[in-house]
Amino acid sequence: MSQGISPLADALVSCSNARRDTSRSAMPTYKLTYFDLRGRAEPSRLLFAVAGVEYEDVRIQREQWPNEKASGKYPFGQMPVLEVDGQVIAQSIAIARYLANEFGLAGKTNLEKAKVDMIVDAIGDVSKGLGEMWFANDEAKKAEAKEKCLTKTIPTTFTGLEKILMTNNGGDGFFVGDSLTMADLIFLAHTDYHVDQLKEENTMAAFPKLTALRERILAQPSVKQWVEARPKTKI
Amino acid sequence: MPKYKLIYFDIKGRAEPIRMGFALAGQEFEDVRIKKEQWPELKPKMPHQALPVLEIEGGVVLSQSFAIGRYIANEFGFAGKTNLEKAQADMFCDALNDLTPKLTELFHASDEKKAEVRKELFEKLLPAAFTNMERLFSKNKDGTGFLVGDGITWADIMFYNFADGMEQIEPDVLKNFPKLQGLLERVRNNPKIKEYIKNRK
Repeated sequence: MSQGISPLADALVSCSNARRDTSRSAMPTYKLTYFDLRGRAEPSRLLFAVAGVEYEDVRIQREQWPNEKASGKYPFGQMPVLEVDGQVIAQSIAIARYLANEFGLAGKTNLEKAKVDMIVDAIGDVSKGLGEMWFANDEAKKAEAKEKCLTKTIPTTFTGLEKILMTNNGGDGFFVGDSLTMADLIFLAHTDYHVDQLKEENTMAAFPKLTALRERILAQPSVKQWVEARPKTKI
Repeated sequence: MPKYKLIYFDIKGRAEPIRMGFALAGQEFEDVRIKKEQWPELKPKMPHQALPVLEIEGGVVLSQSFAIGRYIANEFGFAGKTNLEKAQADMFCDALNDLTPKLTELFHASDEKKAEVRKELFEKLLPAAFTNMERLFSKNKDGTGFLVGDGITWADIMFYNFADGMEQIEPDVLKNFPKLQGLLERVRNNPKIKEYIKNRK
């Protein structure tokens, strides 16, 4: 079973953890299990990276998955799952929100958290649309899904997101509040493959504030460090 | 101006769990229902071009039904007590939400396709989901209470609305899941929810 962390990344994580307050020895142990992809686990991996919290980044190879699934340890027979102090949590956004709440990256008040959730769910709508395109089983369905993304889902959702961003510090900071939250990290994870899948269409060009936000998130030292160190996978 | 104004269509849909949540909290709200014919004209004027939205006194507008549901659950104390309980509640709700694309497919399916989609939903997808939920639910006080922790949370309200909707199509849908059936009854008999169901439009 591949750990998925290269020696360099391992060393970098250890260095940054050594600088943290070592009196937090009662930290829970975290184990995140997913395929060897960014996919639905990347929001959580980004949260761990920004929080500077150690975790076991378990990556299951495709061939191993049927046996893993049959073991019965996955609540809904799916990945990712997070194991923390003996509890297993499934559903990628539930996991991300849990970690964000634990690490103070969820938004400060219930209202901020609701705005974060709203943004994350809206991004999810676009992810779903792109997923329909990616996984369509014939060319006609693929073209139909792509058309829907380009003419409906992306314009509607991204226009809304650009507007929401601009209500916060004129759109020159982060999505919610004064600092990075899970909304920004999930936006980053989403746009990683959005930009890759729709390179020619250059959909982000119509959204200057969102484009600048993406760059701003990538420039955060903890994000930059993880992005450089993480295993390189197609999606 | 009321503190909370919920805007949606004149159906249960994605707003009913929110309406029920307000009832559970004993919190008044303005329950605005748009007619389907009004929507095309209204849509471009709405900030997020989608319903439901919750307008909160002070000018905040929230969209995304789960974000709204979770917000009022957190505000009024039925989200779960710890971050872990909240995550477990989220997990159940997200798992049910995974089934909505198939439900939408059933709703829009042509007569020839309807039987096929219905079969897939009621013979495969729902039994699988309910089997998982019954098993997970049994880990919490052997499934004699609520989905998460010691008391009712928004996960129970979401489950109630989902399962109740499925029972309208297929009354026996929970036949093999006695604990989930028990949960449904327990939610139905919560005094505030019982009152809400009795009086709702």
